[in-house]
Amino acid sequence: MTDFDVVVIGAGNGGLTAAASLTKAGFKTLLLERHNVPGGCATSFCRGRFEFEVALHQLSGYGQADNPGPLRGFLSQFGIPDRLEFVDMKNLYRLVLPGQLDITLPADREGTTQALVKQFPQDKKAIEGFIDLIYRTFMEHAAVFFQRDPEASAEKYPLMAKYSLQPTEEVMNEYFQNPLIKAALGIYWGYSGVPLSKLPFIDYATLYFAYLHWKPAYIRHGSQALSNALLEYILANGGQARFNCGARKILVEDGRVVGVETEYGDVIKAKAVVSNASSIDTYVELIDEEHVPQEQFKILAGQTVGPSSLTIFVGLDCEPHEVGINDTTNFIISDPDTDKQFASMSRLDTRDDYLLLSCYNLDDPQASPPGTSQVCIVDLKYAEPWLTLSPSEYLQVKFKAADGILQRVEEVFPGFRDHIEEIEVGTPLTHMRYTNSPGGAIYGFDQFAKNSNFFVPPTSPIKGLALAGAWAGPGGFQPSLMSGGSAARAIKRYLEQLGGGK
Amino acid sequence: MSARKDIREELKGYQEIKKEMEICQKYGRDYRTQRGLKAAIIDRLHPRQLELTVSEIIPENANTKTLRLTASGRALPPFLPGQYISVTVQIDGVRTSRPYSISSSPTQTAYYDITVGRVKDGFVSNYLLDEVKAGDTLITSGPLGNFYYNPLFHGTKLVFLAGGTGITPFMSMIRTFTDQNLDLDLLLLYGCRSVKDALFLQELKERAERHPNFKFELVLSEPDPDDQGRTGLIDANVIKELVDDIGGSTFYICGPSAMQKFCTGQLESLGVRRRSIRREAFTSPNDVFYDPAWPKNVSPDQPVILTVQRPSGETVTIQTQAGEPVLTALEKAGLTIPNACRTGECSLCRIKMTAGEVFQPSTALVRQSDRLLGYIHSCRAYPLTDLTLVIQ
Repeated sequence: MTDFDVVVIGAGNGGLTAAASLTKAGFKTLLLERHNVPGGCATSFCRGRFEFEVALHQLSGYGQADNPGPLRGFLSQFGIPDRLEFVDMKNLYRLVLPGQLDITLPADREGTTQALVKQFPQDKKAIEGFIDLIYRTFMEHAAVFFQRDPEASAEKYPLMAKYSLQPTEEVMNEYFQNPLIKAALGIYWGYSGVPLSKLPFIDYATLYFAYLHWKPAYIRHGSQALSNALLEYILANGGQARFNCGARKILVEDGRVVGVETEYGDVIKAKAVVSNASSIDTYVELIDEEHVPQEQFKILAGQTVGPSSLTIFVGLDCEPHEVGINDTTNFIISDPDTDKQFASMSRLDTRDDYLLLSCYNLDDPQASPPGTSQVCIVDLKYAEPWLTLSPSEYLQVKFKAADGILQRVEEVFPGFRDHIEEIEVGTPLTHMRYTNSPGGAIYGFDQFAKNSNFFVPPTSPIKGLALAGAWAGPGGFQPSLMSGGSAARAIKRYLEQLGGGK
Repeated sequence: MSARKDIREELKGYQEIKKEMEICQKYGRDYRTQRGLKAAIIDRLHPRQLELTVSEIIPENANTKTLRLTASGRALPPFLPGQYISVTVQIDGVRTSRPYSISSSPTQTAYYDITVGRVKDGFVSNYLLDEVKAGDTLITSGPLGNFYYNPLFHGTKLVFLAGGTGITPFMSMIRTFTDQNLDLDLLLLYGCRSVKDALFLQELKERAERHPNFKFELVLSEPDPDDQGRTGLIDANVIKELVDDIGGSTFYICGPSAMQKFCTGQLESLGVRRRSIRREAFTSPNDVFYDPAWPKNVSPDQPVILTVQRPSGETVTIQTQAGEPVLTALEKAGLTIPNACRTGECSLCRIKMTAGEVFQPSTALVRQSDRLLGYIHSCRAYPLTDLTLVIQ
């Protein structure tokens, strides 16, 4: 039986970067994946003449060669910037509230400020002041938590101390009365799944700062290209990977990881494990209960499973502009109140939902064959009502929900439906099937402050175990990719303490 | 431990959130009570495999039988009419599988019917027809596939173009839509050699009598002297004559490769948009030699050698020929890898090629980033040269 220093369970974003980091550090690493392709959410699939991006809409924190973001730095270790092409997006988004608001924000501070001022001239001062607050609060936060200022204090960083944990809506209310401005400046809330009334201001500020400062990016050939490139790096540098091979158990003795049992019953000895499975699965399904301290179940109990999504992948037989799609990223809402948008996530029907429609061809004409468009529509949904459907109801409900979404899209982009050449609908159950995440959750736990790393550090009570992926920190591509780096550092420290060489 | 006070505690709102966290931990959900639940929910809809019993074998004609498959101890997953299951068999030591459209209706899930026609030298079809008996067990996948009526954009006028046993997915659709009395106009143009080759003829007649929204027409290519019915092929003239609203209809084609290509061309000549032509990709792996893109200088029986690295690291050498898909060669050598559609679409049989050259027909839907790195869909990848392959 082969022995490994580390077995990484799951080739999602966090698992791939953990395995790449550990391989780079010289550890003998095995990556296990239950599917036949790497990527988890970071994948694509083909229908007819289209290849559909599954999950990546706007990559944050990557930046440009002369303005690199943290993600670019992190991925550079694995040669990614040389292997793949990242395309900057011109705009943050277009937001449409039919009959009330239609605004497009460019992907830079100046442009966004001007676009907002043009739409809401009376609020010029408040808009400038609020955007300044986003930047200054983020900078203070970065000085304390990223640069780790040893003299950090509430007095030295007053904005951070005052605002970081405040709900974004309360902070916005200090600046604005008009609900439309709040909608225009808050629509990215869906990228965390937490409405403005609950979204900690620092999470909000980080989100907007990252997109304004480094611009959103698209990866040529989609996120599958990144997943494939990370796997290539692992294999080329001595790491191993096994596909179609899930983990059934993480084996623990005396509080230490000793190996992994595969779904086929093979036992692989290892000194350490990085689990890219959800923390719920890691502690409840993968490790025998006797090895898990009771306290861990209490920590889990305090956290709630976040939203999944009803996702519609559409191949159009026309260019985007023929149906009026002129921006990559389009949000469509029926009410400016994010609490109402959030409430509809728990219902099966889709009439009032907050929708994100991405059409990658605007920034990358090669996103689909000439004369066609690749479109992805996301409607955040909690899995709960879907889990209780009987199998016979399921397909009906799925088509009805998708039909409701297409009606909404048709209002904003007339003619859209008549150009559909391929369509595929993924429900929360579809996400659960492919990612094996509880509730098909796309960001892991609800991204409430109480569930964040700030209050629940992702450390494991079992020696030699680290967690990577959205369940071990914030959700989304940038955080989940970078979580693999943190998990690898924790394992590296552990193995070095353990001694015995590599 | 730092003696310095944790800066986090100085943030406004910290204590309230900490308190909230403690309350949630006290009254939250014990996830241990949900152990296994997720797997059970997924399994109801998308089982990794099904163990089905052949409860009945129904002869359809001299060369065709319907196998009725039932499950014990579980409910059969729902499916959309037109979808297929992949049936895995072990014949003379070779483990392989084939996709079969479900011909029964999903309005009942007591059983799945698959209707199997004899294929000349058909490795699996002949086994299912000649060897399998009532009471036997078959291992299958859950229902799969993208050839179905999609209410989101297919409209209400459906025209089915069937060739031979290509009738099977349409039987499921016709049975379902007539049983449910859906407000759909259904027209079946059924191409077969002669009347005696037409499957389900009696049932089709009965359904057409009972349901004015369902019509069908046989199109016979080699009729027997007494045969009644239209003769020739399903061409533009037939379609023009029988379809009232060509621009407003969705056309579905299932049949042999040559028939699919012919009918697609005829529909295109009538100006039917690509979105309105839906095709089931099931075709014989040998059809590739009629593909105009197949390299003229390579004969299908040209010998080639596959050098295959297995997940264990062990290397296997396999003698095969250019005309044999890589997956089939692997299976004959005793190497099994997951697969389902066997037409290049589903990507389950994706493996990495590190040296050599393959021919993949346009029906093989390989991701762009995969293509750049040498991944192939082995069920429809033909080795034009010796290959080096890695099963990861």
